[in-house]
Amino acid sequence: MGMKQTLDVINRMEADGIIGRYAIAGAVAAYNYIEPTVTEDLDILVSFDERSAAQSGLVTLGPIFSWLKTNGHDEFRNEGVMIAGWAVQFLPVANDLDAEALARAEKIDVQIAGDAVTTRVLRPEHLVATALRVGRPKDLIRIAQFIEEQAVEIPVLCGVLERHKLGPMWTAFCARTGIADPCGLHGLP
Amino acid sequence: MTKTPASSYPDISDILARKAEGRQESKRRSFGEKIAAMEALRERLAPLRLARQQRREPEKS
Repeated sequence: MGMKQTLDVINRMEADGIIGRYAIAGAVAAYNYIEPTVTEDLDILVSFDERSAAQSGLVTLGPIFSWLKTNGHDEFRNEGVMIAGWAVQFLPVANDLDAEALARAEKIDVQIAGDAVTTRVLRPEHLVATALRVGRPKDLIRIAQFIEEQAVEIPVLCGVLERHKLGPMWTAFCARTGIADPCGLHGLP
Repeated sequence: MTKTPASSYPDISDILARKAEGRQESKRRSFGEKIAAMEALRERLAPLRLARQQRREPEKS
């Protein structure tokens, strides 16, 4: 049991049309770029059929949980559903930043303990922008790690921050952490 | 009045340098290697997590 099996299940959900395009987000996605930190959760950013969401204005995770239950995954922990030892949290695309992040997610082949699996991972600039928007202390630490480890392309990051009106939050973050603002957004909304 | 002698502390710069080197090595691992390492670490940390949960449960009740 492990991440390979977890991703196999999620890939099957995508192939079966239970979910749309998906990508790994959060702390596990950050493993692709920076020094890893321990986490209990696997965050999956996921899109749904646009027509059904547009009609009701609501997105329901019901079909996901129903499919998982049918396939033997009905234990919940930390608001996530346990799949092969990982508490998986399905996070529907909820804003333009999420939509752009998912559209530009990178497809990768991962070798985990000798087994290969294909998946998608959010790009570092979108991980930083999302962490900035969420803004918990651990998110801000992660942003500092990305910057310190030079794991983001600064012009790309600045573009994301500007497009999604995160200039003031970015300026405040730089001031608070003593990082020289590489974007020079000066609090532009 | 006697002066308190200044404290002397050992030089730990070599330890800090080795730690920094370890972080660099960890960062350079592949995505799959990092996941496998974290899964192994989670297993080793499971008893501590359980103990923390058990400590918290009486606090909640």
